[in-house]
Amino acid sequence: MFDWVQQVPILSVICYLPLVGALFVMLVMKKENGAGIRRFATWVATFDFLLSLPLWFAYDRNAEAPLFQFRESASWIEALGARYEFGIDGIALLLVLMTTLLGVLAFLSSWSAIREREKEYYVFMLLLQTGMLGVFMAMDFFLFYVFWEVMLVPMYFLIGIWGGPRKLYAAIKFFLYTLVGSVLMLLGILALYFYNSTGIMGWGGLGDEATFSILRFHEIGSQIPPDLQFWIFLVFFVSFAIKVPMFPFHTWLPDAHVEAPTAGSVILAGVLLKMGTYGFVRFSLPILPDATWQLLPWLAALSIIGIIYGALVAMAQKDMKKLVAYSSVSHLGFVMLGLFALNTAGLNGSVLQMINHGLSTGALFLLVGVIYERRHTRMIADYGGLSAEMPVFATIFLIITMASIGLPTLNGFVGEFTILVGVFNRVWWWALMGAIGIVLGAAYMLWMYQRVFFGPITNPENKGLDDLNRRELLYLVPIVLLCFWIGLYPKPFFRVLEKPVEYVVQKVDQSYPGAALHEQPASEVHGD
Amino acid sequence: MPEISPQEFWFLVPEMVLATVGMALLVAGVIGQGISNRASEVVVLLGLGVTTILVVWTQGHAPQGEILAGMFVLDRYAFFWKLLFLLATALTSLLSYQFVERGRYRSAEFYSLLLLATTGMMLMASGVNLLSIWISLELMALSSYILAGYFKSELKSNEAALKYFILGALSSGILLYGISLIYGATGTLQLAVLAERLPVAIGESALLPSAGWLLLAIGLFFKVAAVPFHVWTPDVYVGAPTPVTGYLAVASKAASFAILVRIFYQGLGPLVVEWQLIVAAVAVLSMVWGNLAALTQQNVKRMLAYSSIAHAGYILIGVLAASELGLWALMFYLLTYSLFTLGAFGTVILLERREYAGEVYSDYAGLAQRSPYLAAMMLIFMLALTGIPPTGGFFGKVYLFAAAVESGWTWVALVGVLTSAISLYYYMGIALYMYFKESDATTPRPLHSPVLVGAITVCAVVTVLLGVIPGPLVEFAKASLLPLP
Repeated sequence: MFDWVQQVPILSVICYLPLVGALFVMLVMKKENGAGIRRFATWVATFDFLLSLPLWFAYDRNAEAPLFQFRESASWIEALGARYEFGIDGIALLLVLMTTLLGVLAFLSSWSAIREREKEYYVFMLLLQTGMLGVFMAMDFFLFYVFWEVMLVPMYFLIGIWGGPRKLYAAIKFFLYTLVGSVLMLLGILALYFYNSTGIMGWGGLGDEATFSILRFHEIGSQIPPDLQFWIFLVFFVSFAIKVPMFPFHTWLPDAHVEAPTAGSVILAGVLLKMGTYGFVRFSLPILPDATWQLLPWLAALSIIGIIYGALVAMAQKDMKKLVAYSSVSHLGFVMLGLFALNTAGLNGSVLQMINHGLSTGALFLLVGVIYERRHTRMIADYGGLSAEMPVFATIFLIITMASIGLPTLNGFVGEFTILVGVFNRVWWWALMGAIGIVLGAAYMLWMYQRVFFGPITNPENKGLDDLNRRELLYLVPIVLLCFWIGLYPKPFFRVLEKPVEYVVQKVDQSYPGAALHEQPASEVHGD
Repeated sequence: MPEISPQEFWFLVPEMVLATVGMALLVAGVIGQGISNRASEVVVLLGLGVTTILVVWTQGHAPQGEILAGMFVLDRYAFFWKLLFLLATALTSLLSYQFVERGRYRSAEFYSLLLLATTGMMLMASGVNLLSIWISLELMALSSYILAGYFKSELKSNEAALKYFILGALSSGILLYGISLIYGATGTLQLAVLAERLPVAIGESALLPSAGWLLLAIGLFFKVAAVPFHVWTPDVYVGAPTPVTGYLAVASKAASFAILVRIFYQGLGPLVVEWQLIVAAVAVLSMVWGNLAALTQQNVKRMLAYSSIAHAGYILIGVLAASELGLWALMFYLLTYSLFTLGAFGTVILLERREYAGEVYSDYAGLAQRSPYLAAMMLIFMLALTGIPPTGGFFGKVYLFAAAVESGWTWVALVGVLTSAISLYYYMGIALYMYFKESDATTPRPLHSPVLVGAITVCAVVTVLLGVIPGPLVEFAKASLLPLP
C-alpha cells in the first residue's frame, strides 16, 4: 500500500515543503493578516507531518543492506565531489518524525504566544523546519554541514526578536558558540575528505575518488590511522558536544532556552539538541572507532558529570524554564552515557531516549509556556496550589513529570532502563552513577511539582486561572499519548532501530559478531 | 628591438575602446552644456557592454603566447579577471548614480575616471612584463586617488585622497624599486624569463635579487591591503564616497590579487618555498588583525574596511596553497566577494544622508520593519561575508580552507575558520540593529532609488544562487587557471 513512497522523492518533498510555505508567506501574504498567516503556517506543518507518516509504514525494518532507504541522489558540486544525497535509516526516521510532529505542536502553541511581527515569526519557524529536516536526511557530509549551519540563522532570529529580557545576549551567544563548534567540524570533514582521496599532511591517503559520501566514510573508518582519528574525533567532539550540550560546553543552553519564546525552546530542546547526539551516532562512533575507544573514559566521565551536575543545578533553580533547561543537560548526559556503552542495548536505549527527551522536555516547555501566558511569570515561588484551579493542566503536567523522571509505564523508563542495561555491561559503576542521576531527577522534578501544584493557594493571583483550552489540549494530548505508547509498548520503536543500531555497533566494536562482514583490515580487538 | 606587428594592437581593442569612451565622456562634460547624469550613466553602461563583447570576441581570436613584445598575454586567466572588472564597474556605476545626482557633481568626470581605472585593471590582468603591469597599476591607482577625494567639500574625503595618494605612491615606489633591483640582478622584466633567471641570480649573489623580490612582494601586499601594510585602508575607505569605497574594496583589490598571483606563480615560481612562509604569515596576521579590529567598530564603513583586510587574508590562503584548488578557490571567492561586498555598500548608500550620515550601526535600527526587502538583502550580504550557507561566501571560504588543508597548511585553515566564526559578531551586529531594534524619528529612511535597489537585488540574487549552485562558476574558474609554480 505504501509502495508509491519509494517511487517519489519523498524526503526532498518533506524537507522543502516548509521552505515553500515560508516563501509563500514571505512574498504573498500580508503582514496584517496575522490570523491567516498562523493558520496557513500550521497547515503547512501539519501537512508536512502527515507526509512524513508514510515513511514509518514504508520503511523496511528487515533491510540489512542497503540500510539507508528512500535514497535520492543528484550531482551537485562536481569539482569537489559533493553530491546531493538524501536517505534515512531507522535512527533518522524516528528523528524526522519527531521533528515534524514537534513542529506542528510548536506552531499550534505559538498562536496565542506570538502576536507581534507574526509574518516574520512563521517564516523563520518554517525555514527552521527545513534546516532541521535536511540535517537528518543528508547522506553527504558536505550537504549535512550546509544544513547544520543554515539552521542556526532562523533560530538566532527567533531568540533575538521574540525572546525574553536578555534575548540579545542569549541569541548571539547561541549563534557564536555553535558556529565556532561547527567551523571546527568543517576542518574535520575536510580532513576525512582528503584522507580518503589525495592524502593529508603526514598521513598519506587512500587514493579513492574524492567524495563526501557518509557511507564511504563509514567504510573507511577503521582504515584511518589512530592518531589522525584522534584529531578528527576532537574537532567533531567540540562541535557535537556544544550542541548536545555536554559539560563543560553547555553554558549557552540555559540562556538560550530561558530567553527563547516557548515554541523556540520546544524546538531547541526537542530537536536541535538531538543533532549533537545524532552527530555522535552517525559520525563519531562509526567513522572513528579507535579514537572513541581511546577517549572512552573521558567521554563517559563528561557524560556522568553532565548527568549529576545538570541535576544538582536544576534543583537549585527558582525559574521553571531554567530548571527544565538544566534537566535537559542531565537527561542528555544519560543519552550520551548510553551511546558510550558502545553496545546494542546502550545505543538502542540512547536513541529511544533521544525521542523520549524530545517529547517530554518539549512538553515541559509547552506546559511552562501555558502557565506563563496566563500569569507572565515563571518563578516557582509565584505559584502554589494550582492543581485546584487547573486540574487538567495539573494532570498532564504530572504525567509529563513522571515521564521525565522515568516512571515505569511511561516512555522515560524504557529508555533509561535500556541504557542502564547497556552501560552496566560496559562498566558496572558507570551505571551506578547514572542511577544516582535518576534519583536526583526525581528529586528536583517532584519538588518543583509539589511547590507549584500542591498545597494551598498562597498567591491570590493564582485564583481563577483558566484551565487548558481546546487548542492547548490539541497540542499536549498527542505527546501524552505517545509517552504512554512508548512506555507500554516500545517494541515498534525498537524494531525500527534494531538494524541501524547493529550497524553502528559493528562499526565501532570490532569484536561484535558480524563486524567481520564488513571487510576491514585486522586491527586490535577491542572490548573489555 | 623586438618586432611588433601592427596587427597585434587589435588585441587591445577592448581596453582602447573603454579608454576612448572614458576620455570622450570627459570631453563631453566640458563642451557646451556638458552631459547629464543620466546620459553619462547610459554611456558608461553601453561602453562597458561593448567592451565586454569585444573582450569575448578578442578572446576567441586570441593567439597563444605573448603579444606586443611580450608585454601582454590574452590567456583564460586574464579573460576571467577582465569580466570580473567589467561587472564590478557596471555595478559601481549603478551605485554611483545617486551619489552623483545628489551632490550635483560633474557626472562626466566621475564616470570617466571610473572607466580609466577599469582600463588600467584590464591591462593589469593581461600583463606579463613587470613594466606593463606597473604602468597599468599606476593608471588604476591614479584614477582611484582622484575618485577617493571626490567629495571636494568634505574634509574626510580630502584626507582620504591625500592618505591614499601618499601611501599609494609609496607602495608603487617600493614596487618599482623592487622591480629595478630584479632587473639589475637578472636583466629581464619578462615574468617567464624571470622565473628561469632569478634562482640563478640568487645563487650567485643573494642580496640584490632577494631584496628585489621581497620589495616586490611588499609593494603587492600594500596594494591588496594585507597586514602589516594595511594602515591606509580604514581612513581611505571611510573618507571616500561610498560607491568609490565599494569600487576600491572590490575591483581594485581583485586587480591587485590578479597581478599578485601572476607575479608569484609565473615570475617567482621557483621560489615558492620561500614565499609560502611569508604569505602564510601575512595571511594569518591579516585574518586575525582584520577581524579583531572590526569587532570594536561602530562605523559601518570602517567595519567593512577592516573586514576587507580580513578577506584579503582569506584570499591569500588561496595564494598560499599554490595548487589548482587554491587558485580557482581564490578566483571564485573574489567574484562572489565582489557581488556581496558591492551589495553591502549599496545598502549603506541607500541609508546615507548628507554624505556621511547613515554610516553608524544605529542608523540601521528597525530597518526590518520599515523596509523588510532591503533588510533581507543586507542580511544575505552579512551572511555571505561571514561565510554561512546558502550563500556564495560560504562556498568560497570552504574552497579556500580546503585548499589550505590539501596543501598541508592546516594551521592556517584553523586560524581562518576561527576568525570567520568570530566575524559573525560584527556582521550580525548590523542584522541585530535591523531586526531586533526599533527605529525612532532620527533614524534615516532609505532613499527611493529603483536603480540602486535593482543593482543590490542583482547582487543578492546571484549571491544566493552561487550559494546553491556554485558549479558553473567553479567550472569557469577551473578553466581559467595559470600554470602552477
